[in-house]
Amino acid sequence: MPQKTEIKKPRIGVYGFTGCAGDQLLIIHTEDEIVNLFNAADIKSFVMASSNPEEGPLDVAFIEGSVSTEENLHHLKEIRQRAKILVAIGNCAVSGGPQAMYTEDGKYQERLKTVYGDIKFDVEPLEATPIDKHVTVDYYIPGCSISQKQTFATITRLLHGAEPEPYPHPVCHECKLNENHCILLDKKFCLGPLTMGGCDSACINHNRPCVGCWGPNYDANFKEHFKLLQSFGISKEEIVQRIRNYGGQKILEYLKEM
Amino acid sequence: MMTKKETIRIEPLARVEGHGGIKVEIEDNKVSNVEMRILEGPRLFETLVIGKTPEEDLSIVPRICAICNLSHKFASLRALEKALDVKIPEVTSHYRHLMHHGEIIESHSLHLYFLALPDFFGYDNAVQMADKFGEVVTKALQLKQFGNKIMRLMGGRMIHGENPILGGFGKLPERKILMEVKKEAQELLPFAIETIDIMAGLNVPDHMERETQFLCCKPSHDDYDYYGNEFITSDGKVHPVENYKDIIKERVVSHSFAKRSLYNGKPFSVGALARVLLLGNRLKGEAKKAYDKLYNERWHKNPVYNNHAQAIEQVYSLEHLIETIDYLLAMKPPEVAKRNRNSGTGTGAVEAPRGTLIHHYEIEDGRTMVADYITPTAMFLDDIEAFIRKSADELLSSNKKEGIELQFEIIARAYDPCISCSAHLVEVEFK
Repeated sequence: MPQKTEIKKPRIGVYGFTGCAGDQLLIIHTEDEIVNLFNAADIKSFVMASSNPEEGPLDVAFIEGSVSTEENLHHLKEIRQRAKILVAIGNCAVSGGPQAMYTEDGKYQERLKTVYGDIKFDVEPLEATPIDKHVTVDYYIPGCSISQKQTFATITRLLHGAEPEPYPHPVCHECKLNENHCILLDKKFCLGPLTMGGCDSACINHNRPCVGCWGPNYDANFKEHFKLLQSFGISKEEIVQRIRNYGGQKILEYLKEM
Repeated sequence: MMTKKETIRIEPLARVEGHGGIKVEIEDNKVSNVEMRILEGPRLFETLVIGKTPEEDLSIVPRICAICNLSHKFASLRALEKALDVKIPEVTSHYRHLMHHGEIIESHSLHLYFLALPDFFGYDNAVQMADKFGEVVTKALQLKQFGNKIMRLMGGRMIHGENPILGGFGKLPERKILMEVKKEAQELLPFAIETIDIMAGLNVPDHMERETQFLCCKPSHDDYDYYGNEFITSDGKVHPVENYKDIIKERVVSHSFAKRSLYNGKPFSVGALARVLLLGNRLKGEAKKAYDKLYNERWHKNPVYNNHAQAIEQVYSLEHLIETIDYLLAMKPPEVAKRNRNSGTGTGAVEAPRGTLIHHYEIEDGRTMVADYITPTAMFLDDIEAFIRKSADELLSSNKKEGIELQFEIIARAYDPCISCSAHLVEVEFK
């Protein structure tokens, strides 16, 4: 008789840096899956859901949020050292989030002063940056917030030691599958062609334009889309302003060619 | 004799939204300092929206917080619709109420069963509770799923949906779906009522009890509700929301990226407890029965009863949601209301699940010139510190240091703090 071998459950940590906690919340809000997840994996740390975390070696660390304080930065590097695989979840971790919409404009200190005055904080605040600015990120789950379907597909693959599948499709791809009327045909603003898909075209399904909240899609044709939007009478400044709302720091690379 | 100094630090504070901690410094067995530390990084939303259009404000600002994203959306809508003179039809406001009930149910059920109750039954999390309290956990998950379903339906997505817009909604739910939602609410109501009995059986600690003040929105009608153009306070006063800066005094402290607030120069509470204490006599039906069963004099000085107040509001929201859907089914779907001007000033207040939320805008030629947000967590942080201080004094003087951290955590957690909203931590230092 072959011996039954005890399979060691993968050790997982879920961490939140600076953001709205919506990506962790989305994992907690998977009512049908959350109990299974706690059974299938050894959840070492998930402080939003459970007390008494154990901070040791991890097989997979999931990180939500941007780096916005010295403490965030220190903690991120510490987690990277003990995690075999590190996954960025959500726009703030992937791109920097809305808090990075003015990134590198040289006015961060001014904005900080406007909101908080001259106070010296116990923890040093930093201009928001995506986590791959500081450590190697193995996989990305974009979104604002992330999609449960994509997230659990990725978690399941990682739990089984398999490689997560890339999803290189813009919002338009899903919008077509949902048979929505294209807002761009009405000469109205929409960022669907430039934006990473996975949201199931949530906004256009509700007769609302895509605001670009998942961040830029890798192979988006920025030049042509700018031309199209400008032909509707929308100024370049206005387009840039709107794209930057959720483009984080990553968008700067794409806007360089514009 | 040498002074004996100790520090109790609880960091990170678990089972709350965001990154926070508690620090309590103790000198010669007496509390010398209490800090509710909010160390989630600053995001500076007030400056991010300057120069943006109202449509962009509505998209960006709810990203302050995931749990109460629709409260943020709603508060911004109330402020911006005043500023731009958008007059929404009565029926639209009922669709918004339906959306808000969804968020109250989602947020209260998450907090009550998954974040707060494990402390009272001695568990680290709710999934561990499932072995002994399987039925409660399963039903609680269903209730939370129901809240999320409404948020998805009305918001356009579970978190950060873009469906609520100036003057109305991008898309309204079909009748068939409204009828399904009503049926589900009817099926879940018995569990919300059973929860009242669970709450009645909890042992509520009294070591932190002290007098405090309460504030919430005063509905413009005579029933219980989560909105108003006035605030009502426990000193019997009523204040127009536009005067919020004179009523709530904000300041900045070094141990917190959340600003701090005082009323009458003293800490105050907002949230389900404040609402039930100030408006509880307006409750009807099963919610009134729940109130009569749970309410007692200790509620005025014990924040742990915020959990109980949330349990009452779950009943209220389910009942009122059923009434709201009956109304909506009888009405024709409304048109989106148009804006009548491009410049103006407006202050909007709603009761987010964890308390009063204020948004203020000044718009000029369709662009945001000034934006100001005061979140419930920023309002009650001083009150949490005051209750922890009282608790620490009481427990130390009666030599009950064992498990003191958990007692502090129960106090902080009862408020259901939203640290992302406030900008998050518990440390206790024995000096």
